[in-house]
Amino acid sequence: MTHVPVTYKGGIYRHDEIIDLIEDLGGYIIQKHVIAQEIVLQALVPREDIELIRRIGKPLTGEISPSPLVGAEIAVVTPSLEIHHLPHASCDVAEYIRRFGAKTNMVGLARGFGKRIAQLNDEERDVINEHDLAVYLLGDFEACIERKFPVLRRGIDVPIVLCGGPPTETLKKIVDPPVDGYVGGVGRFMHRTKESEEIDKLEEVVGEVTRVLDRHRDVLARDPLSISPARLMDIVTENVEEIQDVLSPTPITVQMRGLRVKLPYDTFAPVIRKTVVDEGVTIGDLSTVLPSRMRDYILVRIKPFSETNLVI
Amino acid sequence: MEAVEYFEVECPEEAGREYYRRITEVVLLDHNLLRVIQKLHIFIDPRVPIFVATGLTRKLPSVVRVRDFADVNAREGGVTISIGDEAYLAPLLRMLWGKYGKEHVNQPDRFTVILTPGEGDEGISDLPVYHPSESIYKDLIYVLQVIQPEGFKVRKQYYGGNRFYLVASEDTLPEDVEDLVRQKFALMGVEG
Repeated sequence: MTHVPVTYKGGIYRHDEIIDLIEDLGGYIIQKHVIAQEIVLQALVPREDIELIRRIGKPLTGEISPSPLVGAEIAVVTPSLEIHHLPHASCDVAEYIRRFGAKTNMVGLARGFGKRIAQLNDEERDVINEHDLAVYLLGDFEACIERKFPVLRRGIDVPIVLCGGPPTETLKKIVDPPVDGYVGGVGRFMHRTKESEEIDKLEEVVGEVTRVLDRHRDVLARDPLSISPARLMDIVTENVEEIQDVLSPTPITVQMRGLRVKLPYDTFAPVIRKTVVDEGVTIGDLSTVLPSRMRDYILVRIKPFSETNLVI
Repeated sequence: MEAVEYFEVECPEEAGREYYRRITEVVLLDHNLLRVIQKLHIFIDPRVPIFVATGLTRKLPSVVRVRDFADVNAREGGVTISIGDEAYLAPLLRMLWGKYGKEHVNQPDRFTVILTPGEGDEGISDLPVYHPSESIYKDLIYVLQVIQPEGFKVRKQYYGGNRFYLVASEDTLPEDVEDLVRQKFALMGVEG
């Protein structure tokens, strides 16, 4: 059964029927937003059942559309979030990627500005590495990007999509060794994206992110994870009841290789490790439970099949 | 940018030049300074790196005095100032407090200020209250800092007469930076 990421939008009336249906079909609800009278569900559903959900949702004015980025956590990295340089392109990019189902976090570097003086500290590096992909939004000058990008990517081992003012070809030429994706023509600008060419550029960024993540998924599929992150999320939600008290929009963030659980590490890491997944198998057997560099959260990294010899 | 007589962005990189042209237009428009600037030349060389903005302002409105926005009447027991335009009330009060002391400045309602010593109204209506050039200087320099590339923390700025410039870099500024500024002024047809 292959799961595909989708977004369901519909009225709030009888929406619990749709949630039950997705869960009964073996799908997973990743995120649920209630916006006034409307509900937006981001879910992973079995490919063959999309038509069924669409049919049942129709009388409830529900629409289902593919969202290629559901289940991915993306870092939007920008050299600074200085107030007098707002609005940043990064706000628009982060917001636009979110529309396609991804969970995006903005990472504003403390000393990422400038050419010679740009730096990346260890905390920033670790936070970026906790994501599935990093979108770097740099400035308008190729001389500057050429000089500072090697510093800003040092130690980053997740795929990178580089955006900058110069054309895509120029970016490809100046970056060595190459990164996973490039989008030119998205540099520093001082206005919100409203015109159609600008929206097209944002589409291009999303396209490139999707392409890179698809390739990354293919790589992961060669040595599949011992358990799907979405299923692990369900297990944690069912077994750790304190997660119900977390007020964050996504108490558990699903990533491509694991989860971010927004509970304090010291108290809950042993609880999560001991949670039983299946007869005699605990989360601790299938994954590594680590402290996250983001606040006091817990990062669960699922081990691949080759390490555990288990697929649940 | 039609209101600006001369506007050029000089940069060895074509993409960067276009971006900074657009950024400058947007920022000046957002801060309502297009009418103030007569000429503007921006030079950016990311290889050095250096940012130089030079320009001329239009003729600024003259100093605002008390008589421009208020009526002054000397009466028994004090001088009454009736305010016509509230925009200058705050700088007026600040000036009066400084000159006469807070205990002698009374404000019974929004549009009336009474000075208690009652020394007569000679000279009060001629007192300067507000210099538009002061705030324009601050606004201009602020706007240029917004336009300049992020991270250029070493700055030199000047405003005098109707000329202004801002030089910024992340490194120590070169000693001959004045020559560079002079060259950029010469490009706009301004000598000296």
